[in-house]
Amino acid sequence: MAKEPNKQDPEEEKGGEFDDFMADISQEIAQRVESLDAKPKPKPQGQPEERKKTPAVPDAGVIVDWPNIADRMIEEMR
Amino acid sequence: MSVVNYGTREITCKIVYYGPGRSGKTTNLQHIYSKLPEERKGKMVSLATETDRTLFFDFLPLDLGTISGFATRFQLYTVPGQVYYAATRKLVLQGVDGVVFVADSQSRQLAENIESLQDLHANLAEEGLDPRTLPLVMQYNKRDLPAAEISPIEELDETLNFRDVPYFSGIAVNGGGVFETLRSVASLVLSRLSAPAVGET
Repeated sequence: MAKEPNKQDPEEEKGGEFDDFMADISQEIAQRVESLDAKPKPKPQGQPEERKKTPAVPDAGVIVDWPNIADRMIEEMR
Repeated sequence: MSVVNYGTREITCKIVYYGPGRSGKTTNLQHIYSKLPEERKGKMVSLATETDRTLFFDFLPLDLGTISGFATRFQLYTVPGQVYYAATRKLVLQGVDGVVFVADSQSRQLAENIESLQDLHANLAEEGLDPRTLPLVMQYNKRDLPAAEISPIEELDETLNFRDVPYFSGIAVNGGGVFETLRSVASLVLSRLSAPAVGET
């Protein structure tokens, strides 16, 4: 049986659907990452431990990743 | 496509909305975009013709922020449904992690749905991806049309969903089923996350 779409509540807060989505996905990712982290990965012997850089989180509101295919298409159009 | 990168602590998932022309792929992305909170709104790139048909593809980067220490991004794409944009569809499918097949529920569009599904399978195979195992979710869209014009869900599912993957009834034009579909395909993609081999990031 198909899952019926939720009825849209006009009073629903704009981000409501997205927030629900985020909550589910965050939980899923947390579980997944935890299960992956639980598997120890062998380190090469005799090498100093590399310091991890703090990942730079891109600013919201900008295109964070531009697909290579877009460049290729633009090239082809020229 | 690398899905999880321990080196940079990033998770990136590419999800492609596939289906025949005018089935509602772009409408799905537009609804998702409309529901994004302002602080997460990037730019939805849409290349459409003057008649509003998708010319190349739509691209919606979804930056979910840092989750469990990983900067998480979903990249949502649509393909142009029209038959003559076959080359574009192949390009967009490169590195795909999951597919949403948006079927048009109208009875008269059944042949187009089947043709598009066959096209998807052929293109995935060309990309070296196994169409039998790639995360896939079906959305039977336009369920708001009069009953006389649309096929019953069961009939659509019997014809199109031979892999027995999750399927959803959709009314993308008002957002019905859009996030349920996205959540389902995202879940399937995430369930396949794997640690990189030793020596990789």
